[in-house]
Amino acid sequence: MNKYRCIFLMGIERALEYRVSFLLSMLSAVFPIIIQTAMWNYLYGHSDAAAIFGYEHGQILMYTLLATLVSQLTSAGFEWEMNEDIKMGGLNKYLVRPVSYKWHRFFGFMGQKIPRFMVIGPVAACIIAAARFWKGLPITAARVFVFVCSLVLAMMLNFYIFYCIGLLGCWLTDVGKLFGTVSIVLTVVSGGIFPLDIFGGVVEKIVNILPFGYTAQFPVNIINGRFGWERIGIGIAMQAGWILLFACLGEALWRRGMKRYVGIGG
Amino acid sequence: MGIYVEHLKKDFSYYRKETGIRGSLHNIFHREKLIKEAVKDISFSVEKGEMVGFLGPNGAGKTTTLKMLSGILYPTAGRAEVDGFVPWERKNEFKRKISIVMGQKNQLWWDLPASDSFYLNKCIFGVEDYAYREVVTELAELLDVKDLVNVQVRRLSLGERMKMEILAALIHRPDILFLDEPTIGLDILSQQKIRKFLKYYNEQWKTTVIITSHYMADIEALCDRTVIINQGQLVYDGELADINRLLGGRKLLTVKTSGAVDEKAWTAFGTVREIHSAGAVLEIPHEQTREILTAILNGLPVEDFNVTEIPLEESIARFYQKEAVD
Amino acid sequence: MKRYLKLLGVFAKYSLMSVLEYRINFVAGVTVELGWMLIKLFYVAIVYKAGVSIGILTPDHILLFIGTYVLMTGIYMLYYNNFTSLPGMVQRGDLDLYLVKPVSLQFYVSMRHLDFPMFLTNVVAGTVMIVIGWRLAGLPVGAVQIGGFLFFLVCGCLLTYSLFLLPYLISFWTVSVGGIGDITAALWDFNNMPSMIYGKWMQRIGTFILPVFVITNFPGLFVMGELSVGMAVWGIAAPVLFFVISRMLWKKALRNYSSASS
Repeated sequence: MNKYRCIFLMGIERALEYRVSFLLSMLSAVFPIIIQTAMWNYLYGHSDAAAIFGYEHGQILMYTLLATLVSQLTSAGFEWEMNEDIKMGGLNKYLVRPVSYKWHRFFGFMGQKIPRFMVIGPVAACIIAAARFWKGLPITAARVFVFVCSLVLAMMLNFYIFYCIGLLGCWLTDVGKLFGTVSIVLTVVSGGIFPLDIFGGVVEKIVNILPFGYTAQFPVNIINGRFGWERIGIGIAMQAGWILLFACLGEALWRRGMKRYVGIGG
Repeated sequence: MGIYVEHLKKDFSYYRKETGIRGSLHNIFHREKLIKEAVKDISFSVEKGEMVGFLGPNGAGKTTTLKMLSGILYPTAGRAEVDGFVPWERKNEFKRKISIVMGQKNQLWWDLPASDSFYLNKCIFGVEDYAYREVVTELAELLDVKDLVNVQVRRLSLGERMKMEILAALIHRPDILFLDEPTIGLDILSQQKIRKFLKYYNEQWKTTVIITSHYMADIEALCDRTVIINQGQLVYDGELADINRLLGGRKLLTVKTSGAVDEKAWTAFGTVREIHSAGAVLEIPHEQTREILTAILNGLPVEDFNVTEIPLEESIARFYQKEAVD
Repeated sequence: MKRYLKLLGVFAKYSLMSVLEYRINFVAGVTVELGWMLIKLFYVAIVYKAGVSIGILTPDHILLFIGTYVLMTGIYMLYYNNFTSLPGMVQRGDLDLYLVKPVSLQFYVSMRHLDFPMFLTNVVAGTVMIVIGWRLAGLPVGAVQIGGFLFFLVCGCLLTYSLFLLPYLISFWTVSVGGIGDITAALWDFNNMPSMIYGKWMQRIGTFILPVFVITNFPGLFVMGELSVGMAVWGIAAPVLFFVISRMLWKKALRNYSSASS
């Protein structure tokens, strides 16, 4: 376990390395929230938006705030490094050492999230407390607990999704733009920007089945009080199921990919 | 119309980076500023058409000096004049007169044939069409890359790429050419070809050339005059071959004997470098060669002997060390 | 001037040739942009779904404004990569080779690589949105309107270039600017909605201090006849002012590069 601890600590250190950029990238997450809050305030102030979108005013504001934070927390970014490892032969050192590449990536990913979590955590806590006491959203200790659980599951799910995507580097020669497309599209379809169920009907049904909503939209809808316990139960089961599925997919891709990697000669 | 440098000096400031998590946290709030004197005080001059080599270990200040002379860096103190211009004023007329090639940086467009990069330089320097065609044809011929100018740069070997870099730098026929480690990482054959080309070009076009390298072979083959820089200071300026004389003119005497000779016997003749069962290598003063040799031939069971100069690399290395001790 | 236009032509040609070297990259570039477009279209969808006017702007007007934003994004993205690669170039000392060339370094470094996939995707989509919004809103189609619209677009381009270059110049002092990219991109996105949805103070700041709103709101406001003379003057003055500032800061940054880097 010690080696993973080391990787984990190095992740933290690297995230702190560039002080200015660290603070700025945290700050940049605030801007989209301002934009969306302004928009929602306007729309809710001038129309019967609650009926149109199916979210209360307080719920949608809280959604906007928390979805951004959750996306920041679960976002990957290591798929680029994976591609580099595959292309430049950096994988070799993992193949010969008694370290699992997947776990190396996993703990590195979690480690880099810690400084982020230290900033995001208190902010999120304040938002949740404020929503509880001022807006009167039904937030109980049990709900917070389930939220944190689903958040951890969301991080794991996102890790596995991007781990699979990163492994595609074994087959595709130029993945740079693909990663860009995937990460932006996934942010949108995970509900990281807007809740997708505001469009109701078919869109909502599709979102509930696909895995992506479970990396952002689902945890947030637990804490803003939109989902009842039954929905939460089903959702957590869906998260676990998708994690399992992507973990298996990851294993399969890894095995095939390594055959190819070794075949090419690194 | 040459290069004149007086008391050129360059300091860099940088920050100390502490290791570990505590260090990173500490760095967020406080950083310690340190100063490095890359070039301490350098003066020299180069005539038009001369080809001068800068020799020195890594971090000696060669590249920094070159960058100041080409106008990339401002000096901390001192003066320089290149072709009548102060380089760091970066006048366009000045830039048209010089060119710089850096072995570790490239200016060619990676995904396009080198000829496209040449054309871009033509546009930038405002070279006339006929002059441009002439220079590309001539240089491609000389560098032996005629068939490669229309191949994407990324498909070229390192050596071919460097030739293209040099060609691109010469499109506007500069009066002065600065070369910073142009042969770094190349195989022997490519190194030789590039050397041959540079020598020819310098003689043909009377272009002033300053070349830095830590391969001595480059300098030995190309330059009559060598400037040795170490720890930001000029420690030698003259012919490379003269270095040995300057260092006290000592020679190496290799003797082969028919049997083992006691170490004490050897030390009587000179400084012992190596000793083995059937011979030894001695370092002896140049002017006593004859006497010592006679004494050895008379006193020891000599089978064969050989007198050589101390290898240049070794002398130069001694130059570097000498400075470090001072 | 003529030389610079010619160089720009050469850059455009080479960039296009480079991207076509890997045809798949061109397609991939377009898909990335389509991904981003998805977000912008979401705003449009929400506006139409809510069906409310924002002040004097009906959803159709808002479509016109968002279309302008998409179009301007395309033009910004044309040279945006040069901005993002600036910190890396500073760090690696790659400016060295361009410093010795007899052309403006700022021009060379900021226009060297042009991104056509992003440019084309956004310009086409933006233009379509503008045309639809314009027609649905029933705005007059005259030489004055179109001429004025284009004029303020050009002003917006100059302002975009000057304003968004500024943060990247910080890289000359701090070496790493990972976060600066994020923050400017986020700032740019304020134009995703017309400035009128923001509070009074934000509108003032976004118009006069960090004039991002000038870039995409003024062309539309002019066509609607809602741009006051004073604002129109500011719409012309701001680009000039910020261009001068960016030019000055660039020179200062370069001075720093030449004395500090190794």
